[in-house]
Amino acid sequence: MLIRAAILVGLLGAWEIAGRLANPLLYVPPSAAVPALGRLLALHSYPDLAEHLLLTLGEIVVAYGLAVAAGLGCGFALGFNRLVGRAYGPILAALYAVPAVVWYPSLMLFFGLDAASKIAFGFLLGFFPITLAVLAGIRQVSPQMLVVARAFGADGLTAFRKVTLPAMLFTLVGGLRTGLALTVIGVIVGEILGSKSGMGSLINHAYGLFRTADYIALVVVTLVLIVGSDALAAIVEHRAQRWTE
Amino acid sequence: MKEALRVRAVQGLSVTALLLAWEGVARAGWVDPLFVPAPSAVLGAFGRIGRAALAGLADTLLKTAIAYVLAVVIGVGGGLLLGAVRPLRRAVNPFVIALYGMPKILVLPWIVLSLGFGATPAVVYATIHGAFPILVLVTGAVRDVDRNLVTVARAFGARRWQLYWKVVLPAIVPTVLAGMRLGIVFCLLGVLVVEMFAGVRGMGYVLSSLANGFQAPELFAATALVSAASIVIVLSLDVLNDRLAQWRGEVR
Repeated sequence: MLIRAAILVGLLGAWEIAGRLANPLLYVPPSAAVPALGRLLALHSYPDLAEHLLLTLGEIVVAYGLAVAAGLGCGFALGFNRLVGRAYGPILAALYAVPAVVWYPSLMLFFGLDAASKIAFGFLLGFFPITLAVLAGIRQVSPQMLVVARAFGADGLTAFRKVTLPAMLFTLVGGLRTGLALTVIGVIVGEILGSKSGMGSLINHAYGLFRTADYIALVVVTLVLIVGSDALAAIVEHRAQRWTE
Repeated sequence: MKEALRVRAVQGLSVTALLLAWEGVARAGWVDPLFVPAPSAVLGAFGRIGRAALAGLADTLLKTAIAYVLAVVIGVGGGLLLGAVRPLRRAVNPFVIALYGMPKILVLPWIVLSLGFGATPAVVYATIHGAFPILVLVTGAVRDVDRNLVTVARAFGARRWQLYWKVVLPAIVPTVLAGMRLGIVFCLLGVLVVEMFAGVRGMGYVLSSLANGFQAPELFAATALVSAASIVIVLSLDVLNDRLAQWRGEVR
């Protein structure tokens, strides 16, 4: 623990020294970044910070909602029909191997520079891990247990609730968490690659004007958003784990 | 065998049906051809942008290859070091995990600002992007090498380099290969993002300038080309992986 703290202090110290010696346009020491964060949070440097933050948050929520709905729908449709799963599974896996960012220019052309293209891109990034997690989860369910449940008179829905869902829950929740992380990244990547509002556009604005201290402050705020969403997902994941055990 | 045939049939029919439906919808004028061109128009666009797109693709793949080699060297080397040296791992690993989880896109503007426009920021960013997953995977694999194997090798008088060469390295090969498969996608993604953000050449630049110029058929054709290239690269790595796994199985 002590060594870790020492490394952290050392890194910050090195950053401070490098920041003071080097080009101030590019390298800002922590002693200048902290006041910039204060100015940002006091709404001095960007008075409309809250609106941009809320827009980004809204894009994430909508994109993730769509990704969960479509991912679960597609996953179960593919998972419960053997032929369909074997036909479309490999196609899905192949598409997953494509670096998703190649779709972004087409989305931007189609949906424009506003929120819709970010939602579409966040959706696309979140959709794949959720679908693939459902498929992987269904494969984990033991067929014997389903047969036994049916033999004891469970109907389809009961068997799904009592056998399938608990057996696959762990994998499913993991996929949902990965999906959220990727949706968040997708929305922010989309905003940085081209937008007029949202946290990504502020980051681009600060960087474009060489306001490096403000840029670092904005990155810190965005990181809090990202880490916070993942922490929330981690809590849900933990709950689900306890529930299965 | 019969089922495999049916699977192929379903795949072929669905793709054909999708393309036909798309063509029909576009011809009927239900979608604006400015944004969603018909497949036949996309096919025609291949001829017009084929050479420029291939040149861009070659540029992108070259940068990706350089970044990939660097990422593998850093990832595997660093992973061996962190995995084997316990105090170092305990001190540094939390930082590695934190940086791994942090979306690299946030530092992209700063990297471009410091390194300028051109190939360097793309290679640097893609290397960082690709090295972390490999580093994290390899560190874990080295840490989890079966203690009994190490003890037995030591008992038989293995020297330190022999321990690494004969015990640790063979044990981590599957993880290294899995990391390398992940790494190539991350590197390619990294190069494309930088080219889109601040490129003057390469496929990412080609894609974003086609989008900005509202050249939808050309954009779709170029997108299809990069997608096909990355699918081919990843699938051939998969095939290589399978071959190696079989070969390892036979040797044992």
